Amino acid sequence: MLNLNRKFLVTASTAAAVALLTTGCFGETDTAKQSTITKASIDGGISYPVVNNKTSAYYVNPQVAAMAPKIYHGRVPTANELKAWDKDVMPDGTGLPEGSGSVEDGEELYEAKCVMCHGDFGSGGGGYPSLSKGNAYELQETLTNNRWHDPEADGPVRVFGSYWPKVSTLWWYIKDGMPHPASKTLNDDEVYALTAYILNINEFEIDGEEVDDEYVLDREKMLKVVMPNVDGFEPSIDGPNGLENVRTYYANPKNFGAIKLAPGTTPCMENCQEDSVVITRIQNGGIKDFLPPMSDERDLPQEKEVAVDPVKVYDETCAMCHSSYLSPGSAEWSGYLSRGMDQVYANAIHGTDGGMPAKGGTSLSDKNFKTVVDYITTGKTK
Amino acid sequence: MDNNKSNQTIDRRDFFRKTAALSVTAIAGTSLISSNAKADDPAIMHHPSWGQKWGDPVTKNRYGMPSKYEHNVLRRNTKLLASGNYRASIAVTPIQESMGIITPNGLFFSRSHGGVAHVDPNEYRLMIHGLVEKPIVLTLEQLKKYPSVTRTHFIECPANGGQEWRGPQFNSIQFAKGFMSCAEWTGVYVKTILEDLGLDKEKAKWMLTEGSDNSEMGRTVPIDKVLDDAMIVWGQNGEALRPEQGYPVRLLLPGWEGNLCVKWLKRLEFSSEPWYCKEETSKYTALKPSGKAIQHFYANEVNSTVTSPSPEIDWTHLEDGDIIEIEGLAWSGMGTITRVDLSFDGGKTYTNAKLKGLVLPKAWTRWSFMHTYKKGEQLLLTSRAMDDAGYIQPTIDQEVSVMGVESVYHRNAVETWEVTATGEVNHVQMRTPGGVKNA
Repeated sequence: MLNLNRKFLVTASTAAAVALLTTGCFGETDTAKQSTITKASIDGGISYPVVNNKTSAYYVNPQVAAMAPKIYHGRVPTANELKAWDKDVMPDGTGLPEGSGSVEDGEELYEAKCVMCHGDFGSGGGGYPSLSKGNAYELQETLTNNRWHDPEADGPVRVFGSYWPKVSTLWWYIKDGMPHPASKTLNDDEVYALTAYILNINEFEIDGEEVDDEYVLDREKMLKVVMPNVDGFEPSIDGPNGLENVRTYYANPKNFGAIKLAPGTTPCMENCQEDSVVITRIQNGGIKDFLPPMSDERDLPQEKEVAVDPVKVYDETCAMCHSSYLSPGSAEWSGYLSRGMDQVYANAIHGTDGGMPAKGGTSLSDKNFKTVVDYITTGKTK
Repeated sequence: MDNNKSNQTIDRRDFFRKTAALSVTAIAGTSLISSNAKADDPAIMHHPSWGQKWGDPVTKNRYGMPSKYEHNVLRRNTKLLASGNYRASIAVTPIQESMGIITPNGLFFSRSHGGVAHVDPNEYRLMIHGLVEKPIVLTLEQLKKYPSVTRTHFIECPANGGQEWRGPQFNSIQFAKGFMSCAEWTGVYVKTILEDLGLDKEKAKWMLTEGSDNSEMGRTVPIDKVLDDAMIVWGQNGEALRPEQGYPVRLLLPGWEGNLCVKWLKRLEFSSEPWYCKEETSKYTALKPSGKAIQHFYANEVNSTVTSPSPEIDWTHLEDGDIIEIEGLAWSGMGTITRVDLSFDGGKTYTNAKLKGLVLPKAWTRWSFMHTYKKGEQLLLTSRAMDDAGYIQPTIDQEVSVMGVESVYHRNAVETWEVTATGEVNHVQMRTPGGVKNA
């Protein structure tokens, strides 16, 4: 565990807790009855360790921690099971199998299985991402483009070649997630071939050699790929200092556009804005192709009438009363039918003083309920 | 009783229009309490149809559904975010209709990278291995035998508001801020299971979390979070997770990006080095003006918005002098909300709003401000939240001066809703054209 975890901060008020945290001072102070206990967390925020069987507002059962090392409800996986599921690929080649594939085979596969979504030469389309916008080394330089000062300027190009830090990610994702409608159907050599083709259309070089149309990629060569934007990410997460780098990075709000107030500060309540600020409105109507269309109406939805099975309705709803008397097709109906079907329908739909509930208590439409009446009076379905 | 009239069509709009007109007459004329001046409300004067016949039998809905009148309260989507025939896509929560701090399961926002998987719980397995002495494979039944904890947390897509770095685009609270929801989750702390497995605390620095869905969704999690409050959850608001939230099991990293809370969870592996999954490199990285992008950007920062009024449910029906509640949400993935301030002039001056209800860490928090409406007033409603870590929402100028406008993710600057003279509500932004250096 981390050093920070060993020392809890116990203070009388949240404001005081913040005060100590923001000055980087960790240690114990007087415990008050209504205490707030927090510790700094890796993301720059705070978390709430369990103290006196509580974490923030939540009680926890202390027996769990005491007994946890003995619970073990599962079983140890077999070697084959581990092998079957441990398929991830890491940048150093851990998990990357032997194999090879050519740009030529990759292009053929791409045309057969990928082009319908990712477009010609990885140009993108139909809501699927582009895989290439041209030379990766040149496009990497567009990453400093920012439409902050000039909304009409060119933006940064973030595709595999120009943006991604590791090539292993591409191989692993094709193997696990592609083709999108039928993932995990490509063999290792096919994945190498597709990787080779995508490196080709991004105009890559590996170890000084151009990934041209004749290129054949294998495990050894893939591990030599240096992505143009390998150093384009912060904080650095690799190596023994990776975690500490992350903690340090998020301890400084300026790194990620956050504002953290000094201890005891009341936030700005007046004159909190630059004079240069203006109201910026939605341009050209904005995006409003909402599906379904926006509405807060509490009306009844338009329901499509679906025909019902009169026998089923009878069994579920009518049989309770209509099984011994006036049952389906019973001769007892003749007296009622002699007064005309319209009267029978009306009684059925609106109910009678004799105990017939309106529509038998169902919420069926008149039309549907008439089919039930037809069945119960004749014993036949149409 | 005039029962026959119960079948008449009642036009409430006509009624309210008529009543409103008469009220104005009453105010201008003689007495406010003159009953003669008002029309009788047909909703009161006649038996409603539902009061004069059997309702549904208790046997009808074995799993209850909302009233059919609520059919417009829905998750919605837009073609802008339609990748993969809506399989690598998002449908967002109608927060204009949300009440309290819990999102009902059917309205919880739905985001997937390869479609919503339907996992057979009988074939569900969770494997935990890597830098542990004794790896483990668990069935769902075995997993649920672990002691459970229940906690209320929001989950937010870090692209919530991410379409509006360069200016407002959605005249809708549902789309501007609805890439999030909040629920009560039940599961087991990852650290509880790890007690059994003998984690190599010297070497283990990172955890791979992997889903079993079509995209085999993966992310790398630092060990700090795993040993703090990371949970493996199977319960959502008192029932099993919905398929859209990863049925039967997902990871929950309270306060952190939604995509890190991997759904349809299949495997956790511990290692000394990070993995570089697709969704922590190609996406979910925030490009700054320097050309460097922030990776492993975990926590959703302190944030807030007015939710009432909204463009969807505005103030066009209000009368002069009406006393009305301005309501909103505040949340922080880095702590607990401590205060919310509300501005009526777009963020120049603030007044303190009131928190209400339960205030929990890394959970939606409701806030409120009572307002006396003046007919014809124009307002620029801007809320600003603070958390107990000391973070406060930046202005747009402040955030853009560090992050530029190409970050896509983690936009948490204050949000402004304009109330026009007629009571309509528009989404606007208060910012300096071209930005301000070192704002």
